[in-house]
Amino acid sequence: MATEVLWWLFAAVMVASAIGVVAARSIIHSAIFLIISLGVVGAMYLFLTVEFLALVQFLIYGGAVTVLILLALMLTRMATGDERMIVNGPQAPFGFLVAGVLAVILVGVAFGTSWRGDVDDLPANISIHQVSEVMFMNFGAPFIFVAVLLLVALVGAIILARQEDAE
Amino acid sequence: MVPLENYLALSGIIFAIGVYGVLARRNAVVILMSVELMLNAVSLNFVAFAAYLDPDAITGAVFAVFVITVAAAEVGLALAIVIRLFRNHSTSNVDEVAALKW
Repeated sequence: MATEVLWWLFAAVMVASAIGVVAARSIIHSAIFLIISLGVVGAMYLFLTVEFLALVQFLIYGGAVTVLILLALMLTRMATGDERMIVNGPQAPFGFLVAGVLAVILVGVAFGTSWRGDVDDLPANISIHQVSEVMFMNFGAPFIFVAVLLLVALVGAIILARQEDAE
Repeated sequence: MVPLENYLALSGIIFAIGVYGVLARRNAVVILMSVELMLNAVSLNFVAFAAYLDPDAITGAVFAVFVITVAAAEVGLALAIVIRLFRNHSTSNVDEVAALKW
């Protein structure tokens, strides 16, 4: 019972901060709302008993990705205060319409479908040992592909962002 | 216990909010943050499905790890592009970057 109350609390925080990300006028506020929202996704992983994934979420998103985004914000801010700029393009009402219809469809399908196999209780904690076993035994090739992808992407990012002296 | 439908509805709402951010905002970095919201909604969906419908409940977690890895690569590359864009055009507003527009 207490778990459910906590779940609804976290869900409300998550939706509110996600709205904050897209609605905040200041970009820095957007980034801070993004940290809150991604942290709550980590809490949702805890509710789903995948502790390893929650830790990964906190580390990668709460740490690395948000720092990267804040750094990019710092590098791309105009010198003049751009807080009062128009944040939305002229297409914003259509975007609102599309997103609203999409939300109605997704929520309607989620509640309209009868999902098979109602488990009585969630599985006990999924340990990092189990996750790594499945990952390396059954998903070896995707793991290698993702590793190469990450390497190529990082080299590409360095080449793109590099200062070119001779020009 | 929280039913599966709640997780699906929550991630659907978060995904729709991310779609709105991508479509409506003008700043490239905010668009990127909205994409992160969408990716997180999807991986939450994966993990919820695995926990409720998969007897092992692990495959979804492996998928989420892959999603996080690809998202990290994507955010690094996209921010490098934004920085290069800002250096060349002095703006991070996607509406003003119309050099290739016919």
